[in-house]
Amino acid sequence: MAKAKTNTDDYLRMYRQMVRIRAFEDQANQLYLSAKMPGLTHMYSGQEAVAVGICEALTPQDHITSTHRGHGHCVAKGAEFKPMFCELLGKAEGYCRGKGGSMHIADQSNGNLGANAIVGGSMGIATGAALSHKMLGDGQVTVCFFGDGATAQGLWYEVMNMAALWKLPVIYACENNGYSEYTRTEEIAAGSITARAEAFGIESFSIDGQDVLAVNRLAQDLVARCRKGEGPFFIELKTYRYHGHHVGDINRDYYRSKEEEAEWKKSRDPITGFGTWLQSEGIVSSDDLVAINDEVRADAEAAVKYALDSAYPDGSEVDMHVYSDTEHALA
Amino acid sequence: MREITLSQAVNEAIAEEMRRDETVFLMGEDVAEAGTPFKITSGLVEEFGTSRVIDTPISEPGFVGLAVGAAMTGTRPLVDLMFGDFLFLVMDQLCNQAAKTHYMSGGKLKVPMVLRTNLGATRRSAAQHSQSLHALVAHIPGLRVALPSSAYEAKGLLKTAIRDDNPVVIFEDKLMYQDKAPVPEEEYLLPFGQANILREGRDVTLIGTSSMVQVCLKAAGLLEAQGISAEVIDPRTIVPLDEATILDSVRKTSRAVVVDEGHRSYGVTAEIAARISEKAFYHLDAPVLRFGAMDVPVPFSPALEDLTVATPDQVAEAAARLCRGEMFHAA
Amino acid sequence: MPHDVIMPALGMAQDKGVLVAWLKQEGDEVREGDPLFEVETDKATMEVEAQGAGFLIDLRAAEGDSVPVGEIIARIAETAGTPAAKTAPPEDDAADDMSASVPEGRKVIMPALGMAQDTGRIVGWAVAAGDSVSEGDTLFEVETDKATMEVAAECDGYVAAILAEAGDDVPVGETIAVISGTRPEAPVSRGAASEPQAAAPAQAAAPNLSSQPARPPAPIEAGGRILASPKARRLAQERGIDLARLVAAGLAQPFHAADLDRPEAAAPAPRPAMQLATLRLSARAPAAGFDALIGWAEGEGAESGAILAALASGALRETTGAERIAIELRPQGRCLHDADLARPDGHDRDDAETPPTLILRDLTATRLTAIEGGTANLPALTLSRDRDDLVLSLSVDPETMDEALATGLLAGFADRIADPLRQLF
Repeated sequence: MAKAKTNTDDYLRMYRQMVRIRAFEDQANQLYLSAKMPGLTHMYSGQEAVAVGICEALTPQDHITSTHRGHGHCVAKGAEFKPMFCELLGKAEGYCRGKGGSMHIADQSNGNLGANAIVGGSMGIATGAALSHKMLGDGQVTVCFFGDGATAQGLWYEVMNMAALWKLPVIYACENNGYSEYTRTEEIAAGSITARAEAFGIESFSIDGQDVLAVNRLAQDLVARCRKGEGPFFIELKTYRYHGHHVGDINRDYYRSKEEEAEWKKSRDPITGFGTWLQSEGIVSSDDLVAINDEVRADAEAAVKYALDSAYPDGSEVDMHVYSDTEHALA
Repeated sequence: MREITLSQAVNEAIAEEMRRDETVFLMGEDVAEAGTPFKITSGLVEEFGTSRVIDTPISEPGFVGLAVGAAMTGTRPLVDLMFGDFLFLVMDQLCNQAAKTHYMSGGKLKVPMVLRTNLGATRRSAAQHSQSLHALVAHIPGLRVALPSSAYEAKGLLKTAIRDDNPVVIFEDKLMYQDKAPVPEEEYLLPFGQANILREGRDVTLIGTSSMVQVCLKAAGLLEAQGISAEVIDPRTIVPLDEATILDSVRKTSRAVVVDEGHRSYGVTAEIAARISEKAFYHLDAPVLRFGAMDVPVPFSPALEDLTVATPDQVAEAAARLCRGEMFHAA
Repeated sequence: MPHDVIMPALGMAQDKGVLVAWLKQEGDEVREGDPLFEVETDKATMEVEAQGAGFLIDLRAAEGDSVPVGEIIARIAETAGTPAAKTAPPEDDAADDMSASVPEGRKVIMPALGMAQDTGRIVGWAVAAGDSVSEGDTLFEVETDKATMEVAAECDGYVAAILAEAGDDVPVGETIAVISGTRPEAPVSRGAASEPQAAAPAQAAAPNLSSQPARPPAPIEAGGRILASPKARRLAQERGIDLARLVAAGLAQPFHAADLDRPEAAAPAPRPAMQLATLRLSARAPAAGFDALIGWAEGEGAESGAILAALASGALRETTGAERIAIELRPQGRCLHDADLARPDGHDRDDAETPPTLILRDLTATRLTAIEGGTANLPALTLSRDRDDLVLSLSVDPETMDEALATGLLAGFADRIADPLRQLF
């Protein structure tokens, strides 16, 4: 029963983390639409099972690299709402002291090496982190999140080659949401994506990215194998983004239909699906899930209010953090 | 004091730092058994093994990307970029990733990596193996840029670069690899941001970088024969730039000639000349003159290539004209 | 071709200069670099050099005149005997020439409209001779290489003359119309081509019709700016040196810090400054008493110089109360000390050691009437003869001797020379 208890805790934690991501994105969307949030942002809603399923297989010391659609990875890797919303709003208490914003949001203390606004830009960093861990022999694993669009970047092939040659503990996690910005991925990707990794001799998997349990199970397995020196690995996670490429991408009929979006939300939502499973397994009741949803939403609302009221960084911070050993680069 | 070549000095610096700190490792194309085309790293793989002296595929963006990630996660990569011209291949990893990570993370992440590469024309290598592109990276905040002017400088600056917690790009002049200079047996470091006054003078300040320091020293000798006393300054690092030493000298001499091997337009000479004009304007008794590489792709033919780089005679003649109060550009 | 000698801009915010003295006379031959005249501005007095060789003609400003900067004050011609008609001021020339046929009034010239334009074609006139015009009214349309544009009247008045026809190509600066303040009795209308005689003088007059004052020629033209290094400018400001002095001295631009150490940069030469500041007094006394004394004294073996020195020393001692007084006699060159206390021959009073207190010039034996300068800053007393009178003049530097003392000195000397016997004995 002890094991069952652990599983129950893990399940509830995964459910809660997915709900937290959804709640965070719902608030971020509102902040953006109500013009309270500067800049631009890319919603992770719909892809929660990928970030949560994988990050729940990692320790806080294991590293991930994230993308421009990175709020979900950030939450899943252990970040708190308040510093995240502060970062989103450019406030001093943000994880990056307001210097990163939505596209570079990361809780570095939990092993997040940063969200990267260059598509595919973090593939070298993730692979380098794996090289570092291999050299240091600390057994840590690095997961490189990227989208299907990034598979068109040459850098990936360079680093997969080296990762395979040197057996680096890195997992390339491609979140294939079907769209490369405003274009159907079928239009930009020839052949098979998994075959590309396999060409380097990298063991590859293709999996339903909406099934958090399946994702987590695979991730647990591959992380363990990485720690034993069996990496690298590649996973294609088939998933779907509910919003446009970015929040302002409202009229997207030209690349996908409303019916398609409705169908994914109705029948393939990762949170609803997992909630239904949890109930059907008798792990939680419907009321329990509603209570979790309400509690998380209240947390998110409180964090938004906190962030809106918190201070911007002082102007003197503008030339701080340019060089690590120089307090003010322009002094 | 013993005299060794610049190539040997660099080799010593790498070996000493790798002995001192086991997180330092060397990677690049043909750095192990081949010891690079310039035979700079020969012997290192025998001492440190292939796990710390790593031959990479010909994938410059890939291995520079790996270096960024490795630097962020506990090791200190020293990357060999075979020719400075290949910088264009690695711009995203160097300028978007390495340079900005510390800032975008609000100071939480550091990138202690060194990119060793070279500059310098007149080696009959044509337009893609002869460029001096240090201004390109000096333009990007977050990177440090060192330009050793002799074997002694190369060793001391490289050791400092390896210990720096920021990304550093160090450019050696490939024509100087076999040039010998006195280098002490005992360990020493040369500080960044502290210019070296190689020769004191009264009438004109010659500011040179990299091998152009040697050009300036020869020009100073020619000027001395004409009764003109030239001060020669080597900034050592252009980021950070020791502006104070340059300005103090120009305030004393009232005249300045800046000599660098990057293209003349929009480059290092323009930057230094502009700072002099801004901050020592009322001490100037003559326009600040600049010598850079001619604004043409570097040609192959010796008859053409030799025309593109400043010579001691040209520098001396220009400096002498300045001292005679000749007007360079009529109103 | 003659070139103009103009009043130069020497000070920072100077708009006119006083012509202190001509250093060449009308008709003199001059070489480039020869001092031509001396000019005084608010800052200093300085000599202006000829910018070319030739003969100085057509002097239009007299000593003491205050002349606006840029105005022509003379010309330098290739020959001394240039016919008067050509050397006369062009403006007057034109005016005279035109007076017979063209009414007086404000001249309308062909404007310079393009960057490198030297003529303009009149497309058409918008007014006719005799018309009344207001400032801003279109007068005519002109076509240059670039464009066609309308030219408006610059003042109210009447079109007294139209001197060029539509279709004419007219050199820039040439007068093409005249606007008079009063209604012209006989408005003139003619084409430039049909009346070349009228066009020629009008063209000659053009430089003076221009509203732009001519600038002093500089070694390097830079839009009128003095070219100097930033350091030279800063040091000049710190040391109170007007860089225009270096321009006036003819030093090549751009100026560098080292140029500020050249003698030309130093404060203006003392001589003109002395002249400026010098206090001049004159007096007149009957010569009879002095002549009688000299006649007697020479018979006694004394000489006139010693007697004059004694008279001057006495006047000086009475005025200033000085204890030791040395008088330098010119042209003799002797210097006598305390001559008023000595025997009239003055022999034992010769003194080469004591610096002279006063210089005394006796010109009575010559036809000279005055000598100025050459005395550093010492008071100089000059004696000359005008029929039965002796003319006395005293020049002093007011910083050495104020006006009251100078007046006392000259009055005392005049009294003594008018009745020398009483004063000496």
